[in-house]
Amino acid sequence: MHPRSATLIAFCDAEAGAGRSRRIARHLSQCEKCRDQLGRIRSEREKLSARAAAPAMESGQGLAAVLSAIAAWREGRNGAAASELKARLRWQMETYFGSPAALAVERPGMQVEEMFGKANEMLEVFLGPGAAEAVRDDVFRGLEWTEPAGRACR
Amino acid sequence: MTPKSGLDGIESAPRWILLFLGAYLIVHLFALYLWNIAGHAFSIQGTSGGGSALSVTAMAAVSLWLCLLVLRSFPGGAALRPAWMLITFAAAAQAASGALAQLLGSNWLLNPLMWGGHVRSGLIEQIRRGALIAGGPVQLALLAAGMLAALRVLRKFGFWVRPSAADWAVSSIIYLFTLCRFAEAGAASLAGRPIGAEDWISLAGLPILCVLFLEAMLLRRSVVHLGNGLISKCWAAFMCGIFLTGAGELALWVIPHYSHAWPLKTIVSLIRFPTAAVFALAPACQVAAQRRAIKPAGDRREDLATGVPALAR
Repeated sequence: MHPRSATLIAFCDAEAGAGRSRRIARHLSQCEKCRDQLGRIRSEREKLSARAAAPAMESGQGLAAVLSAIAAWREGRNGAAASELKARLRWQMETYFGSPAALAVERPGMQVEEMFGKANEMLEVFLGPGAAEAVRDDVFRGLEWTEPAGRACR
Repeated sequence: MTPKSGLDGIESAPRWILLFLGAYLIVHLFALYLWNIAGHAFSIQGTSGGGSALSVTAMAAVSLWLCLLVLRSFPGGAALRPAWMLITFAAAAQAASGALAQLLGSNWLLNPLMWGGHVRSGLIEQIRRGALIAGGPVQLALLAAGMLAALRVLRKFGFWVRPSAADWAVSSIIYLFTLCRFAEAGAASLAGRPIGAEDWISLAGLPILCVLFLEAMLLRRSVVHLGNGLISKCWAAFMCGIFLTGAGELALWVIPHYSHAWPLKTIVSLIRFPTAAVFALAPACQVAAQRRAIKPAGDRREDLATGVPALAR
């Protein structure tokens, strides 16, 4: 007669008692089916133990971690694009205004978004909105760039 | 699409203007050289006067057309629209002045005021004066207002610098010249000599020229801060045009004081046409910049790949 699952769980947890445990052990040495069932019980118990050992994560911390991971991924992808975008903006500023003007819109350590804003404003004022829009399109052409708002530009 | 280059399209308007200016100067300087080595044996005054006025008028018309193209690209509310509107009005005044003086203000066969047996010389004279006012003080005043509007925009972007001592020193040449002209006119009126309408109109334009000269100095410093790009060249051309206007006025006043042998009409044409050409060059550079920006992408892909200047690299 096969022992019940609850008896096997108690055996596994060493809570079945000495005499009962000897009988179950004797049965397990002869019954493959019960050995398999005991194996499953132990496996599930280990999984539960592992989950219980992991640090508890609050919902707020979890969201922050997810956002941070997304930002890091985006930054990694944008890093190369940002330097390319800066070079293109510099080149456009040099073409339409000159090197001093290109240096004026780019301070050391300036974010590319800020540089783009300044250059775009100057181009709109001095070149006219239509031509400035064409320059903007030209600057972003073929560039995989995700703006902070999440809008992708190509 | 094949890239546009050389002298193809309106984008190359600055090159065309410089080409015409170069050819004009070469021809006139060569004529002066021949006249000089021939020992003033022939007159070059008669041939240069009318042709020069026509070429100046034609260049003023080109300038007006280019200004209108630029003005159209700045919609209402754009920061530079007031400046370009005033500059366009100045170009229109110059073109209208030339057209009026040439068509209705001259004693030639195609002037309708000369037809019908009796010549309306009084009306022709009035038209000539009107043309002088339009092409003189009116044009200068409109240009001064336009430059002021442009300087305000440049100041907003931090490209405006206070005039230095050198700027004041260069401007003082024109202030001194203006004072001399007014002193001369005052002395003439005290001596009872009549001052012609042309002189009065010229005198009226001089104070405006002083303001323009100071603006040109500020513009020069702003352009230095901007660099050598297409838009900077546009404002640099305005600055050169103002300098040439001042230098021309000065030269035309100084030369007769020293020598009456010089062919003044040829010298006038050597001053007026380059001035008109340089004023046309300014909107031409702006148009070239705008056309370059909106040129199809296929034409500029190689620019990004190979034409990146040193600073950008």
